[in-house]
Amino acid sequence: MPQWVVTDPDIYQLEVEKVFSCTWQFLAHESELKEAGSYVTRWIVNDPVLLVRTNSGELKAFLNSCTHRGVHLCTADFGKKKTFTCPYHGWSFNLEGELIGIVAGDKVYGEEMDKSEWGLRPIPRLESYRGMIFANLDRNAMPLEEYLGGMKWYFDILLGRSDGGMEVRGIPQRWVATANWKAVQENFAADPYHVQTTHRSTVEMGISPSDPLYASYGHAIVLEHGHGINVATSKTGRSIYPFQATPELMWPMFERNLSPEQYDLLSRTTVFVGGVFPNLSFVSPVHGTEGHLHNYLNFRVWRPLGPDKVEVWCWFMIDKAAPEDYKEAAYRGYIGSFGSSGTLEMDDTENWSRIVQASKGIMSRDKELNYNNVANYLMGSGKFEPDENFPGPGTAYPTTYVDFISRGLHEYWFELISKDLLDAGEEAK
Amino acid sequence: MNAELHCEISNFLYHEAYLLDHRQYKEWLDLLSEDLVYQMPIRVTSDNKDASNLVYEMKHFEETKKSLTTRVNRLYTTSAWVDNPATRQRHFVSNISVAPGSRPEEYRVRSYFLFKRSRASDIETEQLFGEREDVLRKENGEWKIASRTIYPDQAVLSVMNLGMFL
Repeated sequence: MPQWVVTDPDIYQLEVEKVFSCTWQFLAHESELKEAGSYVTRWIVNDPVLLVRTNSGELKAFLNSCTHRGVHLCTADFGKKKTFTCPYHGWSFNLEGELIGIVAGDKVYGEEMDKSEWGLRPIPRLESYRGMIFANLDRNAMPLEEYLGGMKWYFDILLGRSDGGMEVRGIPQRWVATANWKAVQENFAADPYHVQTTHRSTVEMGISPSDPLYASYGHAIVLEHGHGINVATSKTGRSIYPFQATPELMWPMFERNLSPEQYDLLSRTTVFVGGVFPNLSFVSPVHGTEGHLHNYLNFRVWRPLGPDKVEVWCWFMIDKAAPEDYKEAAYRGYIGSFGSSGTLEMDDTENWSRIVQASKGIMSRDKELNYNNVANYLMGSGKFEPDENFPGPGTAYPTTYVDFISRGLHEYWFELISKDLLDAGEEAK
Repeated sequence: MNAELHCEISNFLYHEAYLLDHRQYKEWLDLLSEDLVYQMPIRVTSDNKDASNLVYEMKHFEETKKSLTTRVNRLYTTSAWVDNPATRQRHFVSNISVAPGSRPEEYRVRSYFLFKRSRASDIETEQLFGEREDVLRKENGEWKIASRTIYPDQAVLSVMNLGMFL
């Protein structure tokens, strides 16, 4: 991956048009829309999205823009409503997106105007898996489940291990980081190698082990469509925190909800960290700042605001069936480690900004000045073969200190941004 | 509320800002009571003007003296990159009002804050602004912060991280 690609404005424009317009984009978790009339507003890069639960309990997503003059219809982050009324001329829409009210309608438009033609514009595709609601701007996109592919098996563990699944606590935290979306996606999906240096303060504090390879034990799993997940265990292949330090009373429930292979993997794993291409990342760690260790699930969307800026959306999730005091302690563990004030998060943000700072110059662009002008993604190449005995789907390498997931991410990224360019080239011949 | 008390409490808050701006975090911890409640709810855009535009269920900070001590100790390691190289930060405190608290020796103190941060040679400065609601208590003749709630004005924080204390 050439360094200039990270922050190049033309490449960024291609990404907006060819990556974000036809991949599945995470909008919300079902627990954020509990009852009829509940809604949340989200973004797919620059497209404002209104996601509602209708009176029949169905989920619907619309472009959050009035069909009259295009005004951003609902600017609240979340809420409950029966109708959405545009503050400009007063056009109002119901939960089904139908235009139901026009101020002075009959007098100014007469019978000729067919209201049914002026409803809110539906987002072409809306599908969910394990409570995770995704949208796609491409009408012809492959189904969500096909897109997730092997990731479903891991989502079944992360989101389906408990009765009732996971629930979002409150709302996502949001803040803006100086970073490129690809770099931050890689940071979670493909890069346990950064842990020992970026997060060395946790070692100095005695929170993490001092073994410099501690983050490498486990598997890096390359999945289709640029997805990947790292399953961190320990030197012995078995975590010292069985079932991620969850209460023992939950384990029989895990066993009931998972296959024997999934149950065994969960029993041996300390951290699951990965990403769904292009810009959804997650981490399920064992953490805490008060001396007690707890597990939680953190999902984040990196909404691009340009080649060198992302708006981070960070959700905290916890097993609905977990004991209340455990939920509270896990929440505090999250606040101290990840999210807007997380101590691990804040060291990451400094590094992300330093990548974009140093990638905009002539030497990172110029082929003549090419001192290996390509970022290094060689870790593990030719050194490790896939572990055929790993129980889950995907290509699993026997250490997480490898760049295979990044390479898979880049390959799919290149496939998407070069798609019609290559077709056009073929036609020109 | 008498002017002398108002002046005393104002000076205490200015001193606190001075300690934070000069990275004297351990000295700052000494200003906090052992039973401290320190929190920063999330500001949101809500759909009607009567609804609260603050969310308390999920917050940006949810701290105790113990967890803040952990945060401070981390900043004194050699690898807390958020503060290494150190950023330059400035806490501006204003609009201080003092009212009697629920117990004798306790006062409810409201103040506005503006936080500015400069990183490396970056010409863009980061900022946060909003309001704080504190409970200050006199313990053995010294002022302590017994409770602080920070209300940011932004729904999307325009800082890369909350590596500072507010």
